[in-house]
Amino acid sequence: MDYFYSIAILVGLFVILASSFNLIIGYGGLISIAHPIFYGLGAYTSALLARDVGLPIPLCMLLGTVLAMALSIAMALPALRVSGDYLLIASIGFQLGMIELIKNFRFTGGAGGVSGIPAFLVPTFGREIYVALVIAVAIGVVMLVRWIAHSDYGRAISAMRDDEQAFAALGRDPKWIKVSIFALGSGIAGFAGALYAHYFRFVTSEQFEILMSSTILTMVVVGGLKTPWGPVVGAILLQVLPQAITFLNLPPALLGPLQGLLFTGLVLIFMFLRPGGLVQAGNTWTAHGHTRKEV
Amino acid sequence: MLEIKGLSKSFGGIVVAQEIDLVMRPGRILGLIGPNGAGKTSLFNLVSGVYPPNAGTITLDGAPLDGLDLHARARLGLSRTWQHVRLFPSLTVLDNLIIGARDYPAESMVKLMLSPGRIRKAREVARTKALDVLERIGLSDTAGKSIADLSYGQQKLVGVARALMNDGRCLLLDEPMAGVEGQAYEAMQKIVREVAAAGVAVCVVEHNVAFIRDLCDEAVFMFQGRILARGSVADLIANPELTELYFGH
Repeated sequence: MDYFYSIAILVGLFVILASSFNLIIGYGGLISIAHPIFYGLGAYTSALLARDVGLPIPLCMLLGTVLAMALSIAMALPALRVSGDYLLIASIGFQLGMIELIKNFRFTGGAGGVSGIPAFLVPTFGREIYVALVIAVAIGVVMLVRWIAHSDYGRAISAMRDDEQAFAALGRDPKWIKVSIFALGSGIAGFAGALYAHYFRFVTSEQFEILMSSTILTMVVVGGLKTPWGPVVGAILLQVLPQAITFLNLPPALLGPLQGLLFTGLVLIFMFLRPGGLVQAGNTWTAHGHTRKEV
Repeated sequence: MLEIKGLSKSFGGIVVAQEIDLVMRPGRILGLIGPNGAGKTSLFNLVSGVYPPNAGTITLDGAPLDGLDLHARARLGLSRTWQHVRLFPSLTVLDNLIIGARDYPAESMVKLMLSPGRIRKAREVARTKALDVLERIGLSDTAGKSIADLSYGQQKLVGVARALMNDGRCLLLDEPMAGVEGQAYEAMQKIVREVAAAGVAVCVVEHNVAFIRDLCDEAVFMFQGRILARGSVADLIANPELTELYFGH
């Protein structure tokens, strides 16, 4: 049963990661590959503060989120002053640099990682409660993304993505929209990291490597960019399918490559047959209350 | 009043503005004419802050605009349209206008989270104004439509309407009549006259000489980044040297 709980928690965490990444890349049009490191920063910060400083776990989770958010602002602010393309370059440097720092600092456990992280809720209430917590947070994040996308702020994001210069000529500052959306998405990833750390109770830098970016991106693309439900579908599909084929009792030598093929194959199929993803976004912004019928 | 003094800009060896001195007065419509490549749109880009000048100063009602970004200039009351419309295709016509309202705090995530009521109120104000502007330009029935559903002439009008949402003190119109015919032509003239009558300084870049002649109080003729002549549109058109530069014969 513990195995299924772990899968459910991983699916929930990837829903959170894919939804927050969708906010950045789908809605914001910002290309970054540093999402795993913000996930990792949340995990490490919360884990170390709880284990070594002894702060209450909810506070540690909050501080992990805040740190991820603060560092994302520090990274994005100078990059976005120049142009959106620089964010990609800055994110590569940040992702690789931070991983190296984590691997080499003593207080982060070096390459061996951090073990013995205090568990949250599970010892008192059982694993089911933690599964419920992660699913509740995932639903909350999806609802938040949906609310933002359908809000006035979401409309401003759409306009900025359509034509940044024309948007600025209306007196709107695109830089702050980009920074705030990047910070929010990264902060959510940090919170997901904290949730991960206090359930699995062991974190290592290898779990937050650059390759994880492609996993999250694939979930968003396969599910559907710029839709609140697309990343949910993508995360569930790409987390559950590789796990499902482990029940085929295939030899390990075949299982690994088959999982890889499945992943790559899905991306290729969607690129050719359904580039908008499983859940397609509409062309014109028609949030509730602002549709054509309203006028 | 928008005042330009000694404005110069070059990209490598290509000079797009050379020692430009120009004043755009409240309530007046200034026409900017000249052949393609004369530097008319470049002048708009310099004034609105798309790129910085090499030399010169620009002031709006005495306040210097030098060093300010595009959005900061717009917030001070400098509105503009674009030669190629540049509406937001992912928004409806009405939302294209609402997003242009100067005091509409749409880009603030903090305000969205902390004071959604204030945002709703600001949206209602902007929406009422947008519907009013659409009615003035005769496009009320397009409010809920997608930009792709509009004719090119209608898109041009919506571009002007969006710029009007800023309530600016200076309005720069870049080829508003290109591709515009029939009713849209009349509507465009009417709206530009109304804006000027309200005390806004208007400057129009346009190849449609009839439109400029009917509308503008005065005009300047630009060629190779310089202002060659100023005066009434009739005088400029009657000048054979300028006509030769413009039409090449």
